[in-house]
Amino acid sequence: MSSAWKANPAYRRYMRRFVPATAIYLLFIALATWLIPDNAAISIVSVGISLLPGLAILVWIWAMARLLIELDDEYLRMLEIRKFLVATGLTLSICSVWGVLELFVPVPALPAFMVFPMWCVGLAAGSLYNRLTVGDAGSCAL
Amino acid sequence: MTNRLKVLRAMRGWSQQDLADRLKVSRQSVNAIETGKYDPSLPLAFRIAETFGMAIEAIFLQDVDAPQS
Repeated sequence: MSSAWKANPAYRRYMRRFVPATAIYLLFIALATWLIPDNAAISIVSVGISLLPGLAILVWIWAMARLLIELDDEYLRMLEIRKFLVATGLTLSICSVWGVLELFVPVPALPAFMVFPMWCVGLAAGSLYNRLTVGDAGSCAL
Repeated sequence: MTNRLKVLRAMRGWSQQDLADRLKVSRQSVNAIETGKYDPSLPLAFRIAETFGMAIEAIFLQDVDAPQS
């Protein structure tokens, strides 16, 4: 892990937001799994409980946006933005190409909830891209 | 863009972390600027010049393309 991760307060703030959101996400997923039986009918209760993990995901996304805003080191901010661009490009490409494939060929549908994890994996690709082009992967906080 | 950051830093006996602390940036940023991987923004270039007490043009040297023959 780079020294910038330890030194820059923006990364520390990010982790203070990210870790609790992750714990809440896991808690709500467990709660939904426990409370909502398979093949449950749509109801206010089942929809309400199902939306709770999504709230934690929104906090994750907000925390990432705040990191970009609060990162006052312009070089580190550039590295993070490059990672975001690679992740976004890969995710859009994969989802779009697979989506068109689904229209014409009987391939398994891509679950919508996989898009965000796919984007997060794309951040790792972004780090690799940074390493190969700039020689610096950047922080592994994201 | 080439620069004389490493030389100027060495003349003052500063480490990359020393310069990073003075500029309020990360050591990675200083390293990236010194090795030419990253060109600083104008505000950061001004801060660098102010830290060394020199004009920006004395620190950062614009690359000039060789004339086509």
